[in-house]
Amino acid sequence: MLNTVLYLVLNTVFVVAVSPLVMSLVKKVKAYCQGRIGPPLLQGYYNLFKLFKKEIIYSQNSSFIMRLAPYLNIGFLVAASVMVPIVFLPQISGIGNIILFLYLMVTAKFFMALAGLDAGSTFGGMGSSREMSLSAIIEPVTITSVAALAFVLKSTDIPQMFATTLHGSLTQYPTLILVAFSLFIVIIVETARVPVDNPETHLELTMIHEAMVLEQTGPKLALMELSHGIKQTILMALSINIILPLGLAADAGFIAIIVSIVSFTVKVLAFAVVVGVFESMMAKIRLFRLPSFFMLALFFSFATIVFELLA
Amino acid sequence: MNNALFGDDIIKILLVFLIGSAALVITQRSLTSLFSIYALQSAILAAIALVLFTREATLSLLFMALLTILSKVVIIPMFLRRLLAVMPIKRDLEFRYLTPISSIMLSAALFFVVYKAFTVFSASLAVGPLFLLGAVIGVSLALMGMLVIMSRRKVVTKIIGYLTMENGVLLFSLFIAEMPFIIEVLIVVDLLMIIVLSAVLAFGIDSSVEAFHKRLSQLGLESED
Repeated sequence: MLNTVLYLVLNTVFVVAVSPLVMSLVKKVKAYCQGRIGPPLLQGYYNLFKLFKKEIIYSQNSSFIMRLAPYLNIGFLVAASVMVPIVFLPQISGIGNIILFLYLMVTAKFFMALAGLDAGSTFGGMGSSREMSLSAIIEPVTITSVAALAFVLKSTDIPQMFATTLHGSLTQYPTLILVAFSLFIVIIVETARVPVDNPETHLELTMIHEAMVLEQTGPKLALMELSHGIKQTILMALSINIILPLGLAADAGFIAIIVSIVSFTVKVLAFAVVVGVFESMMAKIRLFRLPSFFMLALFFSFATIVFELLA
Repeated sequence: MNNALFGDDIIKILLVFLIGSAALVITQRSLTSLFSIYALQSAILAAIALVLFTREATLSLLFMALLTILSKVVIIPMFLRRLLAVMPIKRDLEFRYLTPISSIMLSAALFFVVYKAFTVFSASLAVGPLFLLGAVIGVSLALMGMLVIMSRRKVVTKIIGYLTMENGVLLFSLFIAEMPFIIEVLIVVDLLMIIVLSAVLAFGIDSSVEAFHKRLSQLGLESED
C-alpha cells in the first residue's frame, strides 16, 4: 500500500516537473541548429509561472467546454502518466494496461479538439478538424505499433513490459528496434513536431496543435502547455524504457530511485536532443503527403509481427 | 554454443535494419539519400556475411563480404554520385501506378505472403528458423526492389530498384542456397556493367551522337581527344 502511494506521488510529481525542461531543451537544440542561442533551459518553467499569474479571458461564444477542457486534458494525461513507471516499477499489478493508456491519450486529444471548436474562431475549428483527420490516420498506426510491442513482449501491461526488457537485453528482442522506429514516428506526430506540424509558428496554413489552444488564456493555457509536455514525456518514457531500460529501479529503494531519476533525466534529455536535431533536419511535409510518413511506421510494426512469428 | 547464439542475435538485428533500409528505398525522394541508403543496405549485407563467416568459417563468405564492400559500398555508389553530379535532376518525385503509401502497404502484404509461402516449404527445406527468416527477408527484399522498378519513373531510381533486387537475391543465397564463389564474382561484374550501360543509356538516349560524346566525357567514361 505504502509502495503504491509512494509510486503514485513520486511518478506523477517527477513527470510534471521534468516535462517543461524537456520541451525547452528541444527548443534550445533547434535554436543551436539554426545558429541562434535560444531561450534559457528553464524558460519552460518561467513561461508556466507567468501564465499562471495572468487573468483568464473567454470568448463570448464559448461554453462550459472551453472552461472544462484544460482540466480534463491534464487530468487524462496525468492519469496516463501513472501507467508509465519512471521512478521505479510498482508492486501492484494491472496498473498500466497499454490499451487504456492509448484511450486516455485519445480522450485528452478529443477534449482539446472540442475546446478548439468551442470558441467559434475559424483558426480553432481548422486546427481541430486537421487534428482529428490526422489522428484518424495515425490511430491505426499507433494501435498496430502497440500491438507489435505487446506481441513481442507478450504482455499488454506497461510495467510488466518494462520488467521484461529490464531483465532481458536488446539482443534478445531485436525486433524492438523496429518498434522503436514506429514509436518515434508516433511521438513526432502526437507531439506536433516538424514534419507534421510546426510548434513554433502561428501561420494559418500550417498550424495544427497551436490553432487549437489559440483561444486559451492565462492559467488555462499553462495547463494546456503543461499537458502537451507531459504527453511528450510519457511517450518518450515509453520508448526509452523499452529500448534502454538501464537504470530503471526494479523496486522502491532510496538509492535505486535516485539512480532511476538521474538516469531517466539523462536519457530523456538525450532523446530531446535527438528530436531537436531530427526536427532541424526535416522540412515540413505537405499535409496530403503525411500518410506516407505514417505508413512507414505501420510497415515497421507489421514487419515486427512477421519477424516475431518467424524467429 | 553461446557464441553462435550471440551471432544469431546480431544477424537478427542486422536483418531488422535491412527491412528498414528497404522501406526507405521505396519512399525516399532525394537521389543522394537513395544512394546512401543503398550503400548502407549493402554494408549491412556484408556485415551479415561476416557474421555468418565467424560461425561457419567458410572462406567464400569472407570473400563475398569483401567483394560486396568493395563493389556495392564503394564503387557503385561512387559512380552513381558522379552521375548525379552532371545530371539535371536531384530528386525523383514521379511515381507511376503506385504511390509510395500503396507501395509500402503492398510490400507489407508481400512480406506476409512470402512468409506464408515459406512456412509451407519449411518442412522440406530443413533449415533452422533463423535461416528461414533470412530467406523470407531476402525474397521480400527482391520483391520490394521490383516494386521500386515498377513504381518509379526515373531510370536512376529504377537502377536502385534493380540493385535492391540483387541484394535480396544475395541475401537469399547467403541463407538458403550456397552459391559458388565464382558465380558471385560474375554477378558483381555483370552488375557493374549493367550500371555503366544503363547509366550511359539513361544519360544519352535523348542526344545526338556529337552531344553524346561530350556528355560521356563529363561522366569520365571517355577521354577527351
